[in-house]
Amino acid sequence: MQSKTSMANIDDTVLVELCREGDSAAMERLIVKYQNRIYNTILKICANVDDAAELTQETFVKVIESIDKFEGRSSFYTWAFRIAVNLTLNYCKRNVRLTFKSLDAQNNGSNKQAKKALKEFLTDARSPNPERVLQEKELGELVLKALMKLDDDHRTIIVLRDVEGMNYAHIAQVLNIELGTVKSRLSRARSSLREFLEAVLQ
Amino acid sequence: MKEKENIDELLNSFIDDELTERQQTEVQRLVAHNEQVAQRLKELKKCKILVSSLPFEEAPVGMLEDIKTSLERRTSLSGSPEHFDRRIGARHLLLRRIVSAAAMIALVAVLAAVIYSIVATETVTKEPIVAYGQKPAMLDVKVEKPQPTLATVADKSVPQTTPVEFDCRLELTTNNLFAADAVVSRAIEDNGISAYNIPAKKTDKRIYAVSCSRQKLASLLADLKIVWGRFNSAVFSIETEQEGEYITVDAVATEQIAEIVKQDSLEATIQMAKDFAVLNRLEGLLPHRELALLEDESTTPTAIPKPRLTSSQKTIKKADAQIEDEKNVHLTIVVTGN
Repeated sequence: MQSKTSMANIDDTVLVELCREGDSAAMERLIVKYQNRIYNTILKICANVDDAAELTQETFVKVIESIDKFEGRSSFYTWAFRIAVNLTLNYCKRNVRLTFKSLDAQNNGSNKQAKKALKEFLTDARSPNPERVLQEKELGELVLKALMKLDDDHRTIIVLRDVEGMNYAHIAQVLNIELGTVKSRLSRARSSLREFLEAVLQ
Repeated sequence: MKEKENIDELLNSFIDDELTERQQTEVQRLVAHNEQVAQRLKELKKCKILVSSLPFEEAPVGMLEDIKTSLERRTSLSGSPEHFDRRIGARHLLLRRIVSAAAMIALVAVLAAVIYSIVATETVTKEPIVAYGQKPAMLDVKVEKPQPTLATVADKSVPQTTPVEFDCRLELTTNNLFAADAVVSRAIEDNGISAYNIPAKKTDKRIYAVSCSRQKLASLLADLKIVWGRFNSAVFSIETEQEGEYITVDAVATEQIAEIVKQDSLEATIQMAKDFAVLNRLEGLLPHRELALLEDESTTPTAIPKPRLTSSQKTIKKADAQIEDEKNVHLTIVVTGN
């Protein structure tokens, strides 16, 4: 059995193989490697800390239990994210009312200063400064609010691209859609997001 | 309009670095010569920056431990591999003992036959001496026709189909979480179903992981049917072949779940769930739905008949034992308080 330190640099394919053989260190390594990224992605889609934690846990339980079914046609990373996204979208369908509730709760948090910062950012003719966005916590909340107004499919594709940083090919695999659909859906999602951001300022 | 969409797609692909060098050069040229396109590119870039600048949130501390605990519980619920190995070992040992005993008996029989053939040819040369009025003693070897054993009867009565294993989820919402929790726990316990509570992050939620046979699930549903009308909502989801992808049936009835899970194949199970999903969605759109719900509450609920023993034969008990071992339904029940 490999030690935890030597596990750090092992390729996913090897870790998956070890995991299949019952190597718990390999299993732990896979979880530790992806838990934060999967959690962050789920959280940005479902916008609820507790549910994101539960869905992340459910994702890894599903991943480990189904690891024998993983055929290696895509990468482990893509496969695990597909499970996470499927579970989260299923959650979103079930909890439509709940999502609206959390949105309403967020409404109260937005303040004038954040709106001003967003307006400045959107109307600034100069090239945008990402550092500025990071500094403004309330600005982030406004963006999240606009993001949550998007359809589940649109929100998911934006999160996969702009939060997780997946390329189009990976997104196509995760969502099980054509590359052309990724392009058109992402384009429509960004247009809608822009409209919602402008609506926040009204 | 279509042209605007096409330009947007192109600009987004440009922002995401998904274009070839040649396409990139074309976009750059377009942006340089068209003020509107340049403005649109800026807008889309800002959208991307706003989202990608959102703070990265790390998973809660203890996530790994929670996952491991959950996995351990699920494994113990559906029969751990260790137990499985031990059972195989015990069966192997028993088989070896039986084979050894059979070999010994066969050896003794061969030896006896050899000795008998030597002794018998020397001593029994005439007809056996029989006292007057007595019948000659005869070795009455009765070759009995093999009778069907209880086990074979049971084998014939139970269809030999490979049990379909699947994951499903039942989400119930209620105004009275404690009462609902008590009812669900009791129903699980009464039906002798293996289950464990998954610690929920929220206090207004109870989660049970259940592994059982279809028959036991039908029995559990029959118990829950009595209180079904008291839940505010009931949503049933079943996992498809695609891990993590579910078919969801809103406003599900216990009979519908029973119907879904009793199907022979996963395809049929999923198709049934899809049919009910459409049916319930359509029903939800009907204007008389609220009236129908009121009528339902006033009528006495009819329970799904529980599977009963039709005779006292052991064969049925054996079938029950087999069913108990199946545990091919993995159900997560989530009860949420409003």
